[in-house]
Amino acid sequence: MEKPIVTFAGWGNYTIAFKSLLEGVGLEVIPPAKTNSKTIAEGAKMAPEMFCFPMKVTIGNYMPALRKGANTIFMTENVGGSCRQRYYGAIQEKVLKDNGWEINFVNLKVSPRQLYSKIKEISKASFWQMLRAIRFFFKKLILIERIEKMAQYYRPREVEKGTTDKLLFWFFLKLEELNKEKYFSGLKKEVLKRFSRIKIDKNKVLPKVALIGEIYTVTDSTINFEVEKKLGNEGMEVHREMELSYHLKKVIFPWKDWLIQRKINPYLKSTVGGHGRDAVYEMLHYVKKDFNGVVHLLPFGCMPEVTVRPILEKIHQESGIPFLSLSLDEQVAEAGINTRIEAFVDVVINHFKNKKT
Amino acid sequence: MIIGIPKALIYWKRTHFWEEFFKSLGFEVLFSPVTNREIVEMGVRIADPETCFATKVYWGHLLWLDGKCDLIFVPRLKANNEKLEYCPKFFALPDLAKILVKTPILTETFDERKEKIKKTLVKLGKKLNKNSKEIQKAITDAFLNEEKEKQKQKQRFFKKILSKKPKIVLISHPYNLYDVYVNLRTKEKLERLGTQPLLINEVPVPIKKEIKPEQSDIIDFHWEFGKEIIEKIQEIFKYDIMGGIEISSFQCGCDGVIKEFVEQEFKKKKIPFLYIILDEHTGEAGLQTRLEAFIDTLH
Repeated sequence: MEKPIVTFAGWGNYTIAFKSLLEGVGLEVIPPAKTNSKTIAEGAKMAPEMFCFPMKVTIGNYMPALRKGANTIFMTENVGGSCRQRYYGAIQEKVLKDNGWEINFVNLKVSPRQLYSKIKEISKASFWQMLRAIRFFFKKLILIERIEKMAQYYRPREVEKGTTDKLLFWFFLKLEELNKEKYFSGLKKEVLKRFSRIKIDKNKVLPKVALIGEIYTVTDSTINFEVEKKLGNEGMEVHREMELSYHLKKVIFPWKDWLIQRKINPYLKSTVGGHGRDAVYEMLHYVKKDFNGVVHLLPFGCMPEVTVRPILEKIHQESGIPFLSLSLDEQVAEAGINTRIEAFVDVVINHFKNKKT
Repeated sequence: MIIGIPKALIYWKRTHFWEEFFKSLGFEVLFSPVTNREIVEMGVRIADPETCFATKVYWGHLLWLDGKCDLIFVPRLKANNEKLEYCPKFFALPDLAKILVKTPILTETFDERKEKIKKTLVKLGKKLNKNSKEIQKAITDAFLNEEKEKQKQKQRFFKKILSKKPKIVLISHPYNLYDVYVNLRTKEKLERLGTQPLLINEVPVPIKKEIKPEQSDIIDFHWEFGKEIIEKIQEIFKYDIMGGIEISSFQCGCDGVIKEFVEQEFKKKKIPFLYIILDEHTGEAGLQTRLEAFIDTLH
């Protein structure tokens, strides 16, 4: 077999962490292209029409990397049990084959042993090298999530608008360049120091809004038209629980699912695949915490999220919490999303004022 | 006491089973009528706009039954006897039904990965305050009735196979194949065009061998209908088939996956293949044109 040149499925800011993981085990990596309207259009053209949006996006992301010479694709599949995510690998392989790309497809089933043997077979890395790569991956992942969380806090409170986003841009650029573990702690210190220098209004009481829904659309800001940033700039504190580490925790500790199930029993008595159950749980959780609004993000026609949406609407009616459901696909325009978010912001502010008095 | 069963979606998976089961237990069974425009409109109005057309029709049937009976039976189908899963949309049907209607919902979880169907049925009977003897009798009656119907189906299939007309296989889920309003009488239309339609789920599958087929490129589905359809397509290719039509309801997520592989199989065998997506806006004239054009390509 020729030397593998690897690309993989892109996923928001986590792409940086994935890239360092694959580079760490000694593979030659061409990272997938950043999502933009061009890649989305290309992916949507190739992918089956009825399939869900994230798959179209990931196909679009592969294409520039494939043209640059990548010949192996890493794809995690079988994450959410019952939903279509299970067949991403198979369908993508077929679609690329139909379009004339003979690509070596590596499906990583999320059982640790299989993951280990698959990577070993391709990269021929030693056990320690792999361990080091995984440790570096987790360091980066945790820092990314921490910085994103901090940005959620700083953005609505900053005195000079836009400083947080500037800092975020700088940080992700630096993190992507960083490929040696010994420089990592230096960057971490630097970014935390810069964050602490941002002037904020600490005493401000802000309305709180939560993002729930399908994990890919919630975490990837290029797909959801930067909902998080937009809400933050309107002066809302945005919270979200759905992140990669949340999902990994659930894979490692399956009893988390049972705890969630116990809490949502009055509304839903079974799993519906994907993160459908989690959406209901999160909504109930945020209602309890006196949030002022919930934004539900999903790819158009996502089976688990569409199934639970009537339940979310029921909770919204019972509790009176403002609720906005945005389904995203390649035909959604940013202007439409903006209008809906603006209207939603008005409702949230009203809700916030009424609660205060 | 009257038990209502919506005549849509999961009803078509086991047509002659539930009626016999409840009747044998001494209940009256009320079916919703055959799908009509009123029912579809009712369902479409109340359902989530992005859910599949088949589910929308189901809600219509459910609303029709609301207030006309004492209990509505909505089972939660999770896994069948081969430990394969049903569509994830079925998992939440009773919960969503509870939101929509005021009539109490009778439900039980059918998950054969955890317990055998007979045990679940006993549980269901106990919920209705029946003793085990009555329940056991009802279970045997229901299974017998289902088996009888299957035999009839088999005979019908072999009669159809003998016909001299060009044979076209209709591939879909049972709730699309049998509901004539939903599939806009596709079967009847094909018959009128001088062909012999065969329904995919009536194709008898020989008793399973333990050895897996050698064709490793056939995907292993974890959905019961996915596996069934792929298996039966392999079977139907043994007969003389002129073409295949797949009917799918709009926004059916599972069909998005299955269609890719079904089409692949037909392409491999070089048999003409037509893919039709149906929803509440599909016009009969448009379908007629497409079918006629498809029949022309066969000759």
